[in-house]
Amino acid sequence: MNANAFDLGEGEPIITLRGIAKSYWRETLEIPVLQGIDLEIPSGAFVALMGPSGSGKTTLLNLVAGIDRPTGGTLEVCGHELNDLDDDELAAWRNAHVGFIFQNYNLVPVLTAFENVELALLLTGLGRRARRERVAEALDLVNLTDKQWNYPRQLSGGQEQRVAIARAIVTDPDLLVADEPTGALDAKNAEEVLGLMSRLNTEMGKTIVMVTHDPKAAHQARHQIHLEKGVLDRAVEVNR
Amino acid sequence: MRWLALIWKSLLRSRRRTLLIVGSLVLSVFTVAVLQSLLTTLDSVTNNPNSGNRLAVRHKSGITQMLPRSYETYLRQQPEVETVCALQWFGGYYQDPRNFFANFASDETTIFQTFREEFGLSSITEAQVKEYLRDGAGCIVGETLALKNGWKVGDVVPLTGTIFPINPRLTIRLIFKSSRPSDENVMHFHYKVLEEGVPRMKGLTGAFWVRVHRPEDIPRLIDRVDRHYANSAYETLTETESAFNLAFVKMLGNISAIIQGITIAVVLAILIVTANTMGTAIRERGPEIAVFRAIGFSASRVLSLLLAEGVLLVALGAALGILLAQAAAGGVRGALGAVMPFFADFEITSATALLCLVGALAVGLLSTFIPAYAATRRPITDGLRSVG
Repeated sequence: MNANAFDLGEGEPIITLRGIAKSYWRETLEIPVLQGIDLEIPSGAFVALMGPSGSGKTTLLNLVAGIDRPTGGTLEVCGHELNDLDDDELAAWRNAHVGFIFQNYNLVPVLTAFENVELALLLTGLGRRARRERVAEALDLVNLTDKQWNYPRQLSGGQEQRVAIARAIVTDPDLLVADEPTGALDAKNAEEVLGLMSRLNTEMGKTIVMVTHDPKAAHQARHQIHLEKGVLDRAVEVNR
Repeated sequence: MRWLALIWKSLLRSRRRTLLIVGSLVLSVFTVAVLQSLLTTLDSVTNNPNSGNRLAVRHKSGITQMLPRSYETYLRQQPEVETVCALQWFGGYYQDPRNFFANFASDETTIFQTFREEFGLSSITEAQVKEYLRDGAGCIVGETLALKNGWKVGDVVPLTGTIFPINPRLTIRLIFKSSRPSDENVMHFHYKVLEEGVPRMKGLTGAFWVRVHRPEDIPRLIDRVDRHYANSAYETLTETESAFNLAFVKMLGNISAIIQGITIAVVLAILIVTANTMGTAIRERGPEIAVFRAIGFSASRVLSLLLAEGVLLVALGAALGILLAQAAAGGVRGALGAVMPFFADFEITSATALLCLVGALAVGLLSTFIPAYAATRRPITDGLRSVG
């Protein structure tokens, strides 16, 4: 199926991929991971990237999030041609435009929940008071105000992931990328986290691109894009 | 949260490791500071600014051999010479053998003039000098030594000889102040106390201290004196006071080379230990570094944070090490200052402290930079892959 035929709804594209390819090299052996990816994702979309292991979904997510670079093609995300940015510019771009949610939360163990959320704001030039207000808002949104001075080891897995979500949204990014956000959670906590992501999409208009194996998680998205051996296979609109 | 708080919290990630590395830094800096200060102290012995116009004339065979006091006449006749003072190490102690300090039998008529900088002549009155000259059993002591023993002018100090079989009872007639503490840990008494108490010392002395009018005359005078007594029964070895002191210090061995060798070994050892510890600590934080970079920290900013951690760690260790060395220096002064007067000057100078601090910071930067640079250049996706 041609990726151009994917209908992800109306709206200004926030992500535009043209002929994206990505290969890894093992000595002289080229291992292609993604080939000829053409894709537009409109602003406000909630997309689940699915596919078997090795299909290239995490690699595609990394490229969209600007933490990896393609070996071919161009990608424009949040109004920036990422190929044109050097490493420092790309870092600043990520801080301003992308929020990350990881499978294993990746909170800094020596910082409290509050400090973990504040971390990304240290780069924004905001004053201390403004940072505090933003962190308080983000923690309130994920319903963890009462745990703000707890360290990660004092939180449950679900709470840790909610802190990670607060960290992802505290800079008010346009795009949230999530790599198996419920992969380490039990069913109840997974449901809570997915509900929260759904709210971020519907109520706050955040564009979300999520890699998942979990059909239940994928069902929360509005579109599912399936990859197979490094190429886009099909796009499915989720009926709820 | 501020940047410093972030750095500090990161340092406390593994408290045991941080404590151990700070502990090893404290010991290393302490060792280096003490050894370097020892070098500085020994160097000050051989580079006494007051030594510039003084010569020591001793027996060519060594400082334990005696010279006839009659040589004094010839020495005085030399046009370059201002004054000559016969001086003999007595080596006595006060009350307890552990209470050992530098004491000399010296020519009371020329001692003040020969060592006028050490005696701080401006603070000594003519009446005090006369009082000392008048009392053949009198002595003069430095203020540091007097304070240590609770002595005051008029007190009688019984000395027990260790080299010579006499135990003179000396009355303190003058307590002098000097610009260097080491010069105040000394006692002088009349030469005739030794001559009268020890018949074999009559007409003999261990050395002459010669003060010249102009330092530039010294080489010519050295040559002339030694040539004059060449092939005599008591051949002389004339040298500058600095050279004499250097020879004295050299009796302890090539201290300078030993100290420098130990210092280099300590610095290399701590560099390796710190580099290994920092390398391990940074490698363990690979996933965290990847997260920092993913959320927008540039590689150079993460590198700066890691370097700051390394520098803060070694600065902490260095500061504690220097403080400990300062405390130890006080102990050294108290314990050894009287026995070996130059230890009364033993201190951790600001130059030594600065050297230790700068050296430690260099170790911190060097040991952190390589693993930190490698960690921040690693692709973010590699770092994230190693999570969980």
